[in-house]
Amino acid sequence: MSERPHLLLVDDERSIREPLAQYLSRNGFRVTAVADAAEARLRLKASAIDLVVLDIMMPGEDRLSLCRHIRETGDIPVILLTAKSEETDRIVGLEMGADDYVLKPFSPRELVARIKVIFRRVATGGQRVTAPDGASYAFSGWLLKSQERTLVDAEGVSVPLSTAEYHLMLAFVTRPNQVLSRDQLLDITQGREANAFDRAIDNQISRLRKKIEVDPRSPALIKTVWGGGYTLASEVRKL
Amino acid sequence: MKALFARLTPRSLAGQIIFVVAIALLVAQAVNFTLIMRERNRQHVIGSAAPAVARIVDAIERRDEDSHRPERQRVRFTAAPPPADGARRPDIEQRAADILTELGHPPVTVRAYAEPIAHSGEHLWRARNRIDRGPPRDISRLTLAVELTPGRWATTETRIVADRPPLGGWLIVQTIIFYIIVLIPLALVGRRLARPLQALTGAARQFASTGTADPVPETGPGDVRDLATAFNAMRTRIMAMLDEKDRMLGAIGHDLRTPLASLRVRAESVEDESERTRMSETIEEMNRMLDDILSLARAGRSIEPLQKVDLAALADAVVEDFIELGKPVTIADTERTIASIRSNGMRRAVRNLIENAIEYGGSAHVSVTRSDHQIRVSVADNGPGIAQDRMAEMMEPFTRLDPSRNRETGGAGLGLALVRAIMTEHGGALELANRPEGGLEASLVLPA
Repeated sequence: MSERPHLLLVDDERSIREPLAQYLSRNGFRVTAVADAAEARLRLKASAIDLVVLDIMMPGEDRLSLCRHIRETGDIPVILLTAKSEETDRIVGLEMGADDYVLKPFSPRELVARIKVIFRRVATGGQRVTAPDGASYAFSGWLLKSQERTLVDAEGVSVPLSTAEYHLMLAFVTRPNQVLSRDQLLDITQGREANAFDRAIDNQISRLRKKIEVDPRSPALIKTVWGGGYTLASEVRKL
Repeated sequence: MKALFARLTPRSLAGQIIFVVAIALLVAQAVNFTLIMRERNRQHVIGSAAPAVARIVDAIERRDEDSHRPERQRVRFTAAPPPADGARRPDIEQRAADILTELGHPPVTVRAYAEPIAHSGEHLWRARNRIDRGPPRDISRLTLAVELTPGRWATTETRIVADRPPLGGWLIVQTIIFYIIVLIPLALVGRRLARPLQALTGAARQFASTGTADPVPETGPGDVRDLATAFNAMRTRIMAMLDEKDRMLGAIGHDLRTPLASLRVRAESVEDESERTRMSETIEEMNRMLDDILSLARAGRSIEPLQKVDLAALADAVVEDFIELGKPVTIADTERTIASIRSNGMRRAVRNLIENAIEYGGSAHVSVTRSDHQIRVSVADNGPGIAQDRMAEMMEPFTRLDPSRNRETGGAGLGLALVRAIMTEHGGALELANRPEGGLEASLVLPA
């Protein structure tokens, strides 16, 4: 990666594309802005793109296949620009393998922050984090539904999670049986909605344990590893 | 009395028809029964009077042959009426006078007396009258005296059956047979009528609560089928209108968000920092209002399925999110409280109430309670509450408390309207009440 990471901005709306490209340029990125998927494919071939910012609300069927194309042809991270109302689009888009998304109207500062988080992760050789994609994860009689931020118990009763609990739970189910230190957990979960997560990890762990452990005082699922951190002691199936 | 009647009469259409027909059948049978009884009485009286009358007529017309008759059958002619022997029978007297008049011997006076006698001679009498079945019946001696012309009486004695012949159980049997013949086919027709109506009711209810409904099968009798057809046509039209509304709202949402997003990006290039912050806050607020308007416009058309959810955990999760943001929100410890709800909608309702409590009351305390027939998620604050006469108004869209208390934030006044819409969709309600210790308590009430 060069000193100035090269971003490809794909948005059919000129009123967003132009000022956003300017803003990103001012904030230390090299920006190539294009209006449609066909041009985006050309640029992807022609230059070394470090990250794609893609407006998922663009008209045309190509927007989703472009997302898939990027994911299939390389390891270029993708951030989606999307709107809350288009629930279905968002989920389809994320299933195509985007790394993150911001909701319109988004704060450009937040977008830059997200981009930097992704680059930091790439630079430190961290694992690729896929944003919640509407998938469900089954473990030890529980089901984590990412779309609803809810755990479902063996009897089919939903146990809703707070935002922080959910991100922590997602971190565990996507890395079962791995020891995760507090720093790692902070890093993984802080990528998104950072301000919503400044309480101690331990506090959240104890809240989660209260919800999923049979006996929260001697936890069988989220175990404490001495000097290491926490681990989810369970097989996880992605549904 | 009225209540009792109401309880006894069935509510359903088929039930009412059957009920009315059953009553009508019963009345018809009763009328029928009365007529039959009257005719039988007449026959009985004629049957009782006729032999004696015949004998007297016979005696008048052929007096000379009287001597050949057995003593018992004789007619005595006297100048004075015979002494009273037993109870007078005016019915027989009347009938005898009628028969005599018809036969050309109009009498001056008729006297009839009946006196019960022992059963001794019954078998003889029965044999003679060809009565060969039925239980033994009381026999009476009938004395019939006719004053043919003033001062000239003819008297004779016969035996009659004292009581009327019994009607037996046949009337009951007949009624039951009628009921079987009429009511069973009626019940079948009623079911044929009721089924499509039930389907229609179900579809209409489903429509009222969810905004969508499956088409009703067009079956049953013609007019019911027409109703189903008309309902289906209405359903198609309303659904098309609602779909169009959704599409339009989606388009508006999209079309307004794009310029808002553009504005938001451009706002970043404003040099003055406080100006920039205020601009982005305004844009953020416009976006929230847009969200609320779209949500409210879509309320009642939720695609989210009902799920069994632990409401206590839901409230706790929402509260936790507020605590994360450093807001003064607390929650009472609660047992698992499972309800069938739409999780996202309910989260939103709880969130809106907490936001209101923080904004107008400074803090929020959440509790989840369950009683026999309802579940309440209550959010209490320590604010000034709401004047009683403005409570209902507060739940209407675009209504806010006194603007001076509004601190220039707080969207379009759609929060409570949205909560109410979400609760209606769940078959529940939003209740507002001022707490005795001060402050407002807003409760989401769900049927348990």
